[in-house]
Amino acid sequence: MMARPPPDPLYILRGSGASVNALHFCCGGDGPPLLYSGSGTGAVHVWNLSTRRAERVLESHAGNSVIWLHTLNNSRSSLISQGRDMRVCVWDLSEGRNAVTDSLHTGSVGFCQCSLLESQPGSTLLAHPTQHMEEVSVVEMSSWTQVCSLKLDSNLGMLMCMKMWQADSGPVLCAGYEDGSVVLWDVSHRRPFSRLKVHPEPVMSLDVDVYRQKGISGSSEKILQSWMLDNKKSLQMHDSVQMTNPGVSQLQIRADGKILASAGWDNNIRVFGWKKLKPLAVLQHHTDIVNSVAFSDHQDPTQRLLAAGSKDQRISVWSIYSES
Amino acid sequence: MMDTSGTELPLRLQVSSCLKTLSTSRDSREIVHALRTLVSCLEDGESTRIHHTRALQVLVSARGLHWFSRSHDKDEEEMKKLWGEIIIRGPAEQTLLILLDTISSTGESEALDRCVSALEIFLSAARLQVLLWSRCEVGGASSNSPQLTETVIGHLAALPSITSNHLHTNTPDLFLPQQYYPLLAASILDTLEKTCHALRAGQDCSLGFVSQVLGKVCIQGYSSQMFETLGPRLSSVTRVDSLYQRVTQKLLENVPERCTESVITGLIRSLSGAAAVSRLMGNLVLTNKKAQFVLTHKLLLQQYQHPTGLLKSVLGYLAVDSERRLLLKQVLRSLCQVWCNSSAVKHTCVEQQLYVSKALLLCVALLDDSEIQELRQEMLQCMLGGVQCRLDSNVERIRRMGMVVGECLSHRLDTPGSQLKFQYETDEEISELKSLMESLSVKDDEEEQPDTSNSLQRELKVEASVLSQSVASDPGNGNESELDSDDDLTPYDMSADQEKKKSAPPRYVRDCLEGLMSSDDAERFELSLQVAETLLRKNVKAAQEVSVQFSKVLLHLEDRYNTALFLSLRQNAMVALTVTDIKPVVDYWTTEFYALNYSLRQRLDILEVLALAAQELSEPITNKPTVAQPITAVTALGQSDDITHWRHVVDQRIQSKTRRISKGVTQPVKAVPNRYAAVAGFFFFPLLRSYDRPQTTFDLLGGDHLVLGRLMHTLGLLMHLAVNAPVVSQMGRALLDFVWAVRFHTDQMVRRGVMFAVCAVFLSMPSENLLTELGDDLMETRAWLADVAESDCDSYCRSLAVQSLMLMDKNLKSQLHIPDMEI
Repeated sequence: MMARPPPDPLYILRGSGASVNALHFCCGGDGPPLLYSGSGTGAVHVWNLSTRRAERVLESHAGNSVIWLHTLNNSRSSLISQGRDMRVCVWDLSEGRNAVTDSLHTGSVGFCQCSLLESQPGSTLLAHPTQHMEEVSVVEMSSWTQVCSLKLDSNLGMLMCMKMWQADSGPVLCAGYEDGSVVLWDVSHRRPFSRLKVHPEPVMSLDVDVYRQKGISGSSEKILQSWMLDNKKSLQMHDSVQMTNPGVSQLQIRADGKILASAGWDNNIRVFGWKKLKPLAVLQHHTDIVNSVAFSDHQDPTQRLLAAGSKDQRISVWSIYSES
Repeated sequence: MMDTSGTELPLRLQVSSCLKTLSTSRDSREIVHALRTLVSCLEDGESTRIHHTRALQVLVSARGLHWFSRSHDKDEEEMKKLWGEIIIRGPAEQTLLILLDTISSTGESEALDRCVSALEIFLSAARLQVLLWSRCEVGGASSNSPQLTETVIGHLAALPSITSNHLHTNTPDLFLPQQYYPLLAASILDTLEKTCHALRAGQDCSLGFVSQVLGKVCIQGYSSQMFETLGPRLSSVTRVDSLYQRVTQKLLENVPERCTESVITGLIRSLSGAAAVSRLMGNLVLTNKKAQFVLTHKLLLQQYQHPTGLLKSVLGYLAVDSERRLLLKQVLRSLCQVWCNSSAVKHTCVEQQLYVSKALLLCVALLDDSEIQELRQEMLQCMLGGVQCRLDSNVERIRRMGMVVGECLSHRLDTPGSQLKFQYETDEEISELKSLMESLSVKDDEEEQPDTSNSLQRELKVEASVLSQSVASDPGNGNESELDSDDDLTPYDMSADQEKKKSAPPRYVRDCLEGLMSSDDAERFELSLQVAETLLRKNVKAAQEVSVQFSKVLLHLEDRYNTALFLSLRQNAMVALTVTDIKPVVDYWTTEFYALNYSLRQRLDILEVLALAAQELSEPITNKPTVAQPITAVTALGQSDDITHWRHVVDQRIQSKTRRISKGVTQPVKAVPNRYAAVAGFFFFPLLRSYDRPQTTFDLLGGDHLVLGRLMHTLGLLMHLAVNAPVVSQMGRALLDFVWAVRFHTDQMVRRGVMFAVCAVFLSMPSENLLTELGDDLMETRAWLADVAESDCDSYCRSLAVQSLMLMDKNLKSQLHIPDMEI
């Protein structure tokens, strides 16, 4: 049987005017589904996915590159953004406003993206990098009070990426470092559960499937490595998959745990089956490095799209493996 | 004595009175009565032969016999019946002769119709069998004179021709060869059967007559119709009946010598398998010199139109019997001689060579090891010589044939450690040749058909069980395999996912050149080669600065990194260089073509590039949008560019200001200058400069005839592309001079090139110039072309020669007509 030809993008969002670094979907609440995109010149575009036009453009971070975006409380009107100007900003977008209501100086000059944990209403934790390269700081959002600072004694190099989630025992944070190690932190006790040297090169991106206790990380090589968290919260190597070209910018597991998408340095988006890491598709559209991939959180599974932002200033939107 | 004369007298009287009545009477009653009497008189067969003949003659030719139409219906029926009876009862030979003679001597008339219908009755009443059998019985009709026998045989064999010569389109179907000869064949079969019976009963028979009939029919070209019926039947009957075998062998033995070839060929073609041939022919090949010549020489070495099946039958027949195997060895010797004859390779057509190769392989396959050892020396000689002279050939098919046969022979000779092994692409012909080496069975094809249905089923079963086993034994990866698989997600086609190149392709001509020269960086080299053509075409100025250097690099470029499409990329780049900077690059190519120390490949490359470049230059520029860019137009067209530019601008303005009511009409094709016409001489003449100056590494008129063939071809192309250019006459003259020197070259590729060049000259040269150029050589050229068209062994050469002859005649005619018209 002949394999199906690879799909074309559903549509392309043009006009960001600079490389697209960060993407975030927001489909909750009233109104059409939205896609937030952060560009290399500090502009945050809010794309209406029904009209496929940018509804508004926020100038932020004093023209510095935006590297991370997220909505707060799953509300389309409050947004949090992280920029290369060492600041994290909270935006109020309700009723046509576009004001920065709050901001935090992180002091980090790196590219590490923050991670947000909304464990219970009213208490939101934010993990962010600091001016000390290898340090993770976790703060309580409402007051910016620092909950803890996580730092190992041994030299792991710069903090590269992280993901925080709520486990039974309390918040857990998984961080990837410059020397290729992944460290699992117990946030409440400020100590590492376990440490695993996954890659020989810096960990560029990681994502964790909390339900399956399984994570994936990629670096500047051709290999994607997945690892397991066993009962004692220790990291174990699990599986790996080879790519044709080296380097990933971002990895995202879809919320339903079926597929994994990677943003590749070779301009391609790759889709893998999450369970066995079986390569499923290579989506070719971009003409430059793909910086970011994001899955839609739409309630209707058939409308859950995949968006990818690239250095070629375009955002491609794909509908892949979304048929029920 | 008295008694017989006593009965004869009244009989004769009676008969003659009846005949008298028949020939004169017009009363139907009377005629019926006379006929009835006649039939009863003639009832007693043997003693009434003479009367019968006379009666028939009278009946057939009697003028008064328009009684059929005159009489009443009832009488007519009666008459017809009686008439038929006379035909059937009478002696077969005489009846046939009389009827045929009458048919061939009578004009269109009622009598003719009557004879035709009589002959139909004769044939359908199986009288042929009676006739043949009467000649087989010893003592029966042996008293006949040889002259009469000859006549009968002639009439029997040529009945369709005799009848249709006179009846034309009115010939009944039964007399047509398609029906008559199978009927005759069936009669022969019947006669053979009767012969067997008679022999069993202790009676002597003679098959001479039947053999002669068979031979006569076959030599007239109807052997296939005869043996369509005879072959299969004889083959199946002889399988069980040894007496029948002897009878058949005798039949074939008695065939006259001059007919042997057509009979044997027809017979073997109709049989499947050597065993059948052996059964029917016995040791005929040993006893009959003619048959031996046909089987061991003519069918194998002189003819080549027969299917492979016939070769298998002939050689298999020779191999079946130990006495005949001596002949098989002899055949192998002569096949070896022919196969390794270099002159035969050059002068016989490819099809015949293939045929001989097949025969050789079959022969080798049939010989057993001890015989091979005996013939080892001959075979070795044959193999080495034959392979060598075939590898020298420029025709790929012949080369491959040489390789395959060489491999097969060396395999059979089983020289330890020194078996030949060649690289070639397999095609149908090759695999057929190879399959001939697989051990031949001399059994009949019908016999060896295996019971396929059974074995097939078994195979299927085995397959199924293997499948089920593999399914059962597949352990899966632990318990999660069922739950945790991605199988519900079908992958898309990922073939487009390829490794990304690290370095960027060069963007400047000089970078590209450097990339091609750098020996260590494979990726850079590859990228440079890929973009070379486009870069050269886009940046004309830059390309012109380094054109010759670039040409040198490309000409010496080696495919070190196994680049995909290396050859075509390199060639495209070379062509691009040539058309962007025509004169220096063409100069370079043509000088290097005759220079020292180039491989044949490089010289061929030069020729190809020149031809392609010339072709591109001769095409209208508008077809090439990349070349038609303004920057190219400026440089390529030199001074005329101002005008074109200016005109272009004006045209555009007019276009934009003009309002067109209808836009349906397409723009007429604009005339553009042929860029090749001006430079054709640069391409052409340097190539003719030094062909006759052999060098240590390159001898065009000697061993390097491959290049010579290509050169002729390229010159022809360059000539043809220059059609209508002023220089074409000089080119034509030069080319004809060149061609004249090599027109009798032994290599067929060279001759093909020569013919192509001649065609090109005739096509492109203006006819008035052509005639003056040819001048005195005109008749000689014609004679030469006619000779090639008729007798060259290469079919392509022949067809090209015919083409040239036609072109020449056309030119001649148009040239000779013009003065007439003017006067």
